[in-house]
Amino acid sequence: MSEYKFTEPVLTVKDLVVKFNLRGQVLTAIRGISMDLYKGESLAIVGESGSGKSVFTKTFMGLLDNNGWIDSGAIEYGGYDLTAFKTERDWLKLRGKRIAMVFQDPMTSLNPLKTVGKQVQEAFTLHNKVSKEEARRRTIQLLDDVGIPEPERRYKQYPHEFSGGMRQRVVIAIAMACVPEILICDEPTTALDVTIQAQILELLKQLQARYGLTVIYITHDLGVVANVADRIAVMYAGDIIEIGRSEEVFYDPRHPYTWALLSSLPQLGVKGEDLLAIQGTPPNLFQEIRGDAFAPRNPQALKADFVARPPYFEVSPTHKARTWLLDPRAPDLAPPAHIRHLRTLRRGGIEHAT
Amino acid sequence: MFKYVGKRLLASTVTLFIILTTVFVLMRQMPIEGYFDNFDKVDQAVINAKLDQLGLRDTMPVQLKNFYTGLLRGDLGVSNRYRTGAPIAEIIASKAPISIQMGLLSMAVSLLLGIPLGAKMARSKSKLWDKLGTGFIVFINAVPAAVYYIYLQSFGSKALDIPMLFNPASPLSWVLPVFSMSLGSIAYYAMWLRRYMVDELNKDYVKLARAKGVPGQDITMKHVFRNAFVPMIQYIPSSLLFTISGSIYIESLYSIPGMGGLLVDVITRQDNTMVQALVMLYASIGIIGMLLGDLLMVLIDPRISFAKREGVR
Repeated sequence: MSEYKFTEPVLTVKDLVVKFNLRGQVLTAIRGISMDLYKGESLAIVGESGSGKSVFTKTFMGLLDNNGWIDSGAIEYGGYDLTAFKTERDWLKLRGKRIAMVFQDPMTSLNPLKTVGKQVQEAFTLHNKVSKEEARRRTIQLLDDVGIPEPERRYKQYPHEFSGGMRQRVVIAIAMACVPEILICDEPTTALDVTIQAQILELLKQLQARYGLTVIYITHDLGVVANVADRIAVMYAGDIIEIGRSEEVFYDPRHPYTWALLSSLPQLGVKGEDLLAIQGTPPNLFQEIRGDAFAPRNPQALKADFVARPPYFEVSPTHKARTWLLDPRAPDLAPPAHIRHLRTLRRGGIEHAT
Repeated sequence: MFKYVGKRLLASTVTLFIILTTVFVLMRQMPIEGYFDNFDKVDQAVINAKLDQLGLRDTMPVQLKNFYTGLLRGDLGVSNRYRTGAPIAEIIASKAPISIQMGLLSMAVSLLLGIPLGAKMARSKSKLWDKLGTGFIVFINAVPAAVYYIYLQSFGSKALDIPMLFNPASPLSWVLPVFSMSLGSIAYYAMWLRRYMVDELNKDYVKLARAKGVPGQDITMKHVFRNAFVPMIQYIPSSLLFTISGSIYIESLYSIPGMGGLLVDVITRQDNTMVQALVMLYASIGIIGMLLGDLLMVLIDPRISFAKREGVR
């Protein structure tokens, strides 16, 4: 196995716990996540709705809703501990400048009453002291960079005069205005149609290569993941239960939840057979979760899964998973047939191709 | 754009024509007593002579034609019972200015107080300012205006040592009526602005603005406020124009010789021609106000375009 080429951590999360207050009840949205984000990589965070993907990354920018707070843990970035940031002033040092975000729905994430040019320019002038002329010139350059044709004319237009894909390019231009170090893409293609999706992903890849960005993709679309990610983190019930290089997670998944997730991919199903669906519902985050959060939905759960929360077990230096199955004492439980089949696919040469 | 304005103007003119004609025809169905201040005492010959003189015995098309030609010359007819023999245009011209002045002043006060209040409430949603503001709005809407008008008049004049009644020459005597008139609108502007701003604050573009590093203060002022004000801007021209109609209650409370209550007055006195003139005046103001409001919306909101859409969609 070749060495993972990204090794320098740019952002480190330690035992992060995020809680929300909802109608007087306290919900634990992130249950003690630790991970490193490496400079220049693209990390995909996958998981079902409500698994905490967005909330997790919002803590990097101080964008949690008012009823949410970081209960414990640390986020180390650029010499700061982001969990110690309290005031808006603190965050303005980073937001848009060093960490930027691309949101899900380009139809609603632009201000309908301001010209596209003004909105991109605002992001630029907020962090750069330049003359108006210069800002305008740079803005038009930015629009051009993200692939908007006729940027001079488009500069003066309003968001409603743009198509969905073009708007997402504008949103990306806003995020790129100050050439951030980390770009968080929160389901950047979910609201777009398939042909446009590919274009936007291609654009993001180009920008990443050009500026050496570190990109986090939040998605539940495994197709997107396969397309862009160097590493994958699988989230379930507010925790990363498996993390590893893409080919490791795709071809050699170890956590039963990852198995189940991949098994529900239509591409892996057998024609004529019912598509696998994961039984049950995600756990109630208002209550304390004991053991492995996925155990109640896992028909092959071990006794230990209900008793104690599994630690991370290393599968390889770059691949680890939180499941008792990796404990030496655990029975040798085979993954479902089609997951085993994936392993053979990998041996068949895909690894050489990468 | 010009094409749209032209179309809207034309449509408004047609609407106005239909309303004026309808009002005119309806008013002709009223008892003819309304044209005399001494109907019971005069004999039939005098009545007929007067009706002839007023042209009321002509056929309807002829009457309509005469009415419109008069209207174009600014002739609204003559009052017959309210102030016998006086041209209605003159009566209005003598009363409207004071109402308009009071109305404009109170509108300025309500915008200047109501809008900051609404913005403040939205920014401190469910905190102290919001609760105080909500208390004020509920009070103004729930308590009959008459109650706090009277309190304001009697206690206000005592506390501030200013006249209880209106006197055009003394600016101090304007304070209480103008302020009283503003209270309702302050609550109205604050309530709606708060509501629209809270709506806007929850929108995705605000999240994006935060993510790109816009400070909170700038988000509310540069992004949210303008967007929230758009739905309100439409009603500003109507409010401005309707200052002419005055406030019945305030004007009678402070004995202000304005337009307030004039319509009610002439209706009770059955002054047909004046009722007709005033109804038509208010209808026209309504239509013009709506027209101006719509045009203002087009100017301020780029999404509203009545020309064919251009560009990619």
